[in-house]
Formats: sequence, structure tokens, C-alpha cells
Amino acid sequence: MNTECVAMLLAGGQGSRLGSLTFNNAKPAVLFGGKYRIIDFPLSNCMNSDIDIVGVLTQYRPYILNNYIGDGSAWALDQVQGGVHILPPYMGQKGGRWYSGTADAIYQNLDFIDRFDPEYVLILSGDHIYKMDYSKMLAFHKKKEADLTIAVMDVPWEDAHRFGIVNTDEEHCIKEFQEKPEHPKSNKASMGIYIFTWKELKRALLEDAGDRESEHDFGHNVIPALHANEKRIYAYPYSGYWRDVGTVQSYYDANMDLLDVNCDFDLSDRNFRVFSNNTSRHPQFIGPQAKIRNSLICDGCIIFGKVENSILSHDIVIHKKTSLKNVIVHTGAIIEDGAILENCIVGARARIKGDARYITDTTDTTPEIHVINS
Amino acid sequence: MKNAVGLILNVDGEDDSLKDFLQHRSLSTLPFGGRYRLIDFTLSNMVNSGLSHIGVIGSHKYSSLVDHLGTGKEWSLSRKTQDLSILSGSNNYHIGRLIKVNLRNLQNNRGFLESTTAEHVLIATPNLVTTFDFKNAYDIHLKNDSDVTLIFKKDDPLYHLKDNDLYLDFTKNRVSGLHYKKEHSTGHFFTEMFFIKKTLLIELLDLSERTGDWDLMDMIKQNIDTLRVFGAQHTGYIKRVNCLENYMKTSMDLLEYEIMQELFLGKNSIHTKIKDNHPTLYDDPSQVSNSIVGSGCTIDGTINHSIIFRDTHMNFGSHIQNSIIMQRCEIGRNVNLNYVVMDKDTKISDHTTLVGKPHAPIVLKKGTVI
Repeated sequence: MNTECVAMLLAGGQGSRLGSLTFNNAKPAVLFGGKYRIIDFPLSNCMNSDIDIVGVLTQYRPYILNNYIGDGSAWALDQVQGGVHILPPYMGQKGGRWYSGTADAIYQNLDFIDRFDPEYVLILSGDHIYKMDYSKMLAFHKKKEADLTIAVMDVPWEDAHRFGIVNTDEEHCIKEFQEKPEHPKSNKASMGIYIFTWKELKRALLEDAGDRESEHDFGHNVIPALHANEKRIYAYPYSGYWRDVGTVQSYYDANMDLLDVNCDFDLSDRNFRVFSNNTSRHPQFIGPQAKIRNSLICDGCIIFGKVENSILSHDIVIHKKTSLKNVIVHTGAIIEDGAILENCIVGARARIKGDARYITDTTDTTPEIHVINS
Repeated sequence: MKNAVGLILNVDGEDDSLKDFLQHRSLSTLPFGGRYRLIDFTLSNMVNSGLSHIGVIGSHKYSSLVDHLGTGKEWSLSRKTQDLSILSGSNNYHIGRLIKVNLRNLQNNRGFLESTTAEHVLIATPNLVTTFDFKNAYDIHLKNDSDVTLIFKKDDPLYHLKDNDLYLDFTKNRVSGLHYKKEHSTGHFFTEMFFIKKTLLIELLDLSERTGDWDLMDMIKQNIDTLRVFGAQHTGYIKRVNCLENYMKTSMDLLEYEIMQELFLGKNSIHTKIKDNHPTLYDDPSQVSNSIVGSGCTIDGTINHSIIFRDTHMNFGSHIQNSIIMQRCEIGRNVNLNYVVMDKDTKISDHTTLVGKPHAPIVLKKGTVI
């Protein structure tokens, strides 16, 4: 078992900007790309990076998430002593409280990390779609003898004002942070992925916990404090596909990227696999009159209608004389005879009546993506 | 069904038409229906009916069975309360008629029978395509204090009949006679699934060790007057896969929605080994109709009336119809296939055309490269 680096995955957020997709479900457990859930990406990354110990911090609507993670075997995280551990808020001798911020969530689980006594701690969040070998980032962190390494990527200059921006010197040492700056000095955006040297993180968290003014957030409090204390903070340059799927539009766009032949994000790449927790289902049944073009379809689907440029999760029934175009359909939905859907998301187990018409107004250049739940 | 254990046999004798598929596997692990192996049906039916201890007898071609069943986790059979035993078969040789239930196979596995406290054994073959709840048959078995309860199908031959296939004769609801195909047909076909009292099974096993006659069904047939033998009817879909033509026909049956529904969309599902594949990508332009498709495929071409297993890749301009393409096959550009069965890991290069016949499809062995 590799105890050099323990990963802590922040999975407690509500994800309120995803609207009804997170009414009953924590954001990391939201379906993505048909069969996946968002948390598959960081967990698979851990597996592909030889990280054996992962603590998953849960808080909001954890049932589906906990059930999905199970014993971690889907991501080869079912070791006898390490593996995946679900860490909800808990009661102690002096009572208990919810996790009040990202840093607080880790602070409340210092004991957990201490059990493994690692050299380094990797902090991840459960709302990004990307593939990354964290072991390379760890090697960078060690080489730089850093106290903290933040993964960064170049974003288009015109978007830089929406991100946390870092300014570095030629050695990738971070000199300045700008949170969503009006006038960004660089286009290196933080990806919300941190590697801390454990003793520095522990010291910083203990200090932060004693600060009554603090919101106990990594981005707002802990990292600026380390910066102010002149700790060694480096930016690890990442290039490749990375998407934040925090809003309905960005979630929809990232899904649709999977259908774009020009997009280099490949779920079928055998060299860097994305794993998910599967249950046994029958294969897809494609009826005599079905028409399917440029779509991703999962096991358990039964299709009699027309499906174009769409992503279908498990156990979906598409009746005849239906038409789906640019649609994401979640598990167990039923689309009845005659329904026509375009540019929308159909929620899990929704039943769409045959007279349903969701057709995009072609004059609208940025149509809003509807999430349909009944 | 706490008082019963399940026992899945291996099939004695393999039809020549299937020999290309069965070089490295037994009939029980023949791929079927886009993602299954034949044994999944019998095994899942047993689990779904509430049996919690199941033994599977392997043939000498073990590795595919062990690889497929593993610890039995996918069938919920790796719990402290439920388990799966993979048992060793015997090296059977036969002269003349094949033996339907060969007690030699049980000879090595007395421990499996003796270690259980269950009083009844449900025996079934692994090549039956059906969904069946054994509870009703078990009730008949218990209610009548039967020694043996045979599950039968009325009026509908499940398969190409062989010399060792049996028919049931009834006097009221009691089975009063068993007949081989050659003798005469009563229209009640034995489905190769039955309950038997464990004490009787062990008794007959002892007897066959003394006499050298290992044919269990024949022993039941000889003693039909003294044994309490009853029948339980199977009213749903059931087919036995025992030759290539039957394999083709039964596979293509799945493309009829009613049969697909009965087999896969009922309240109990057929479990199989889980693979973690990406969703199937239907490229643009692809045209797929009336087919079954597994996960992890990329499809760029036309498919009609076919069964495509997991992880198959098909390239632009190709056309597949009336065919079965097993796991991890690669099909090049502008390939034309009609009535072809491709075993696993087969590759077909660009511009190849293969056309078989409905009753004699072209079979490509595992790993063939054309």
C-alpha cells in the first residue's frame, strides 16, 4: 500500500447551480457521459496515479454517492487497509457540526490522515471532468521541494476573469494570486487540485481553525495565509481536457464534447481508463424502425425512435415516432410515443408524454438548456 | 428455498457443428445474446428463485468457466450466507447414446451433496435459454412428497431432439412413464430441469458405483412405478442450445421484442460478469436497426438483424446483417457480412465479403484474422 500520499476528495457540495439535477443527489454523483458519475473522474485518476488511499468527504444528500462508491472496488480502491473511506461529519465529545468550508472538512478529519501518516496530501474536488496523472504532479511537487503545489492550466484570456488566476516566475513559483480578476495578469487558472506537504497543511489547518474571521476555505483563507507566510507555492502546468461542470450549461456542453469528433477527450482510451461502478443490465435493444446517429448509448436501453447527437444513460425506453436531438437522458427515463425533444436534459426516471414538444427556437442564438423532470 | 441446493451439470457430448466454438470452452460458457454466457440463464434462474448454495460442474475445459464465474459475486453468491462451488467433472467417454445426467460427474462431488443440510437438489443443464421461477415446481415437489419432480414443456419442442431426449407420460398429475424420442412422443418434453430428494440421489449414486450404470434418468425411468415422480409445467419461452443452427435461431429470437421482454425485462434479471466499458458510440453516419448491441462498441456502418457483443469496433462503410459478432472483434472498412458468426477477438480486414446461409452460417474461430 502506498502511504506516501493520501487523497482527500471534497464531495460534500450541493451544486445548487445545477438546479434540479442536484435536488436529490450530491453534485459528484450527477451522471455524466451516459454511464459515468462526475466522481468517476477523480477516483479513476487516483487509480491511474497509484494513489491507494482516498478519503471522500460527504455532506449534502450523500445516499446515492455513498451507495455508488460502495467498497471502492470499481476503482480498484478495495484494499484491505487503504482504499476508499467515506467521511461524513460526525459527533465528538463536544458535540458535532457540519463541515463549514473546504478547509474545515479536512480539519475535522486530521485524525484520519494522521492514521496513515503520509508525506503529502492531495486535495481534489468532485466537480471537474478531466484525466490527470497525479503522480507526475507529485513528482513535480517533490522536485520543487514545495509546501504547496497547485495544478494550473492556460485558459483563453477572455475567460480568465472567471477563474482564480496565478502569476508565476519562470520556475513556476507562484508570486501572486488574483481571484476572478477584472484585469488578469496571466491566463494560468487554478484547477482546484492541490498537493500539500502534510506537515505544512496540518500546521496551516490548525492555525486556520483558530481564526474566527476565517471562512475555512482553501482558496480564500488557507492558501493566502500560506502565501503571506512566504511558503513555497508552485504552479504545476497541466494541459489537456479539463472542464468545470458547475452550471447546467457547462454540464451540458461538456457532455456534448463527447460527441464531438474534434474533441480529444477520449473515454475509450485503454491507456488511461475511466472506471465506473456498474451493475448488470441487458444489452441495448435497437428496434426495427430505430434511427441512431452520432450518439452514446448505455446498457439497458430500448430504442424504437430516432436518436441523434444525444447521450443516453442506462435503462431508458424510447418509444416509436419519437425524435431526440442534442438531448441528454438520465437513467430510467421513458420517452413515450410521439414526443419530440431538442437541446434539453431529461432527468432520471422522468416520463415524457407523447405530446411533449421541446423544440429550440432557431432565432435564439444561446438557447437555455431545460432540465425536464416529468 | 432454504431446503434445496442447486447443481448445474455440464453437457455430455458436444455437437460437431459447435466444435469451432468449443475448442477452449465448454457449452456452458458459449457467449450468447450480446453479453451473456449460456450458463447465466440457469444460474440466474436459480439465484432469482432463492437458492443460496449452488454447485457448477465444470468440464475439462475449465478456464473459461472459472474466469466467467469468479467468486460468483455478480450472482450474489460470494456472501457468507450464499455461495458458489465450482466442482470438477469427470472424463466421460460414451459408447452409443449420450447420457443426460451422468452420475460419474457426481461421483467426485459427493462432498458437495453430503456437506449440505438441504434435503432436495435442483439439477439443471447450463444450455437452456429461459427465465424460470423454480418456486412453483418446488411447491409441487414438496406438496406431493415427490422423490423426483420433472419440469416439462407442453407441445413445443425446445430444440433439435436427440436420442436421449425424454418425454413424460402422465396418469393424473403423476408421471407414470418416461420415453425416449425413438419410442414415442407424448407432447410433454422434459426440460432438463428437475428436483430430486438428496437421499434418493445419494442412494442411486451408490447403486451406480456398484452396477457401473451411470445414467440417472435411465434409473428413474426403470423405477418409475416405485418412485413418486411428478411433473411441473414450464409455460414460458425455453430453448436449448445444442447445435449451431439452434444457437443461431435462439440468438435471433432475442430480436423479437416479446421474447426479449420475457427474458430480460421481467422482475428478475439475468446476471452476468460485469465489464466496465465505455458507452457504445454510434458514429455519424451509422444505421442500426433490429439489433442487440453490447457496451464498449464503436459503430460506424450499417447493422441489421444482428447481435453485436461488447467491445466490438466496426469501421466506415461496412454492412452487417443476420450475423453474430462476439466480444472484441474488429471489422474494417467496406466489409460485408451476412449470416456470419464471429467468435471473440476476430479481425476482418477492409473490403471483405462473407456470405453464409441461414442454416449454415460461416463460423470464424476465436482469434481468426482475415
